[in-house]
Amino acid sequence: MTDWLTASDEAAALELLHARQCTDGLPVVIPTDERVQRMVIQSSMEGDMRLGIMGPAGKVATVEKVAVAAVMAGCLPDYMPVVVAAVQAILKPEFDLTEMQATTHCTAPLLIVNGPARRDCGPVSSGFGALGPGHRANASIGRALRLAMINIGGGRAGTSDMALLGHPGKFTYCLAEDEESSPFEPLHVSRGFTEDDSVVTVIGAEAPHSVMYSGNADLPDNHTRLLDVLAIGLTNSATNNAVLGGGAATVVLNPDHAHILASAGLSRMKVCQELYQRCYFDKPAQGPLSTGSGKKQSAHRRWYCFDSAEQILVLMAGGSGLYSMVMPSWCAGSHKNSAISVQFESNPYCEVPVQS
Amino acid sequence: MRDGIATARNGIPCIALVTEDFWPQGDFVAQSLGMSALPRVQLPHPVAGSGKANMQVIAEEITPKIIAAFAL
Repeated sequence: MTDWLTASDEAAALELLHARQCTDGLPVVIPTDERVQRMVIQSSMEGDMRLGIMGPAGKVATVEKVAVAAVMAGCLPDYMPVVVAAVQAILKPEFDLTEMQATTHCTAPLLIVNGPARRDCGPVSSGFGALGPGHRANASIGRALRLAMINIGGGRAGTSDMALLGHPGKFTYCLAEDEESSPFEPLHVSRGFTEDDSVVTVIGAEAPHSVMYSGNADLPDNHTRLLDVLAIGLTNSATNNAVLGGGAATVVLNPDHAHILASAGLSRMKVCQELYQRCYFDKPAQGPLSTGSGKKQSAHRRWYCFDSAEQILVLMAGGSGLYSMVMPSWCAGSHKNSAISVQFESNPYCEVPVQS
Repeated sequence: MRDGIATARNGIPCIALVTEDFWPQGDFVAQSLGMSALPRVQLPHPVAGSGKANMQVIAEEITPKIIAAFAL
């Protein structure tokens, strides 16, 4: 069970948590028993329920320990179902969390929220600056996952988290899909769920890379030009996707770019297929750039950066304008950066006691 | 370290080769997996990409240490 600490007051407790490397370096909300139990209630689970073993430390992730992380991160109790679902996602063996926490690459779990939870457990923002500051649910839900990875999983820079530099998304990396403005079916529907399901999808991702495209409706090949620049950004020659290949990666289309593609008759799946076809390298061009390990070992003259179109995760979020975002990925671990989706109950109908 | 521990758990004598920069991570992994006593030999960092000539120097330097560790 959870190890409880004692301190004379909240200021002393904060310094104690910093000293014990239990924080992400920023101030945290002190996880008192009352605050933690309020969070546990909103999970609709028992506090001692075991969600799994979290690496690389190999400690048991209970609902109560996750609630501690959620309190420290500044979550409202309403957010707790998303946090628990995100923890369940990264504990799936296919996510390769232990290896991901330990890698020298700059990968971090990106949380994508779909369905009613965007409203019930937030609001989780999906519009302008959704990955930036100012959105409480986005900031604290992603931070709660990171604090769980630190305090349960044991991921600490330089001793167990060996990312050479890391990236800012390792503080928090969470957004919702803008389902209402999207011309495509929601991401979670394309992954086998219904529109009424609340789903969090987690995928290892680098920091967002900007892809600029100024659309021109008068151009008959407007959409193919956009696909071309997205593919360049997604698998440029320096990415692990180009060098190692075969790992899932993310594309976040802004509304304008999504509508350019949809207006050309492309579905979400067709967009993925078109990108897959564009993300390849010819051995003479890429080979000299891929020293050491990598697909230069391949006997094939041409190699594709993804094993299938399904490895490209396309969603729609952000404000209207010129810029979409791509997040190349790590491409390592036994499952090579698999995206994991977990369905959950976003409104568990538990009455949380008013904080005294 | 994980490879070394997995090998040792299969009953095969094993020395883990860990570079200087990853030594603290080796401590963490060994402790997490309950095998803190797994013998280790430290390598300079980095080894990968340092060139065949340098790797040859490193190999000659650490080989006696590996043999000595197996003899413990």
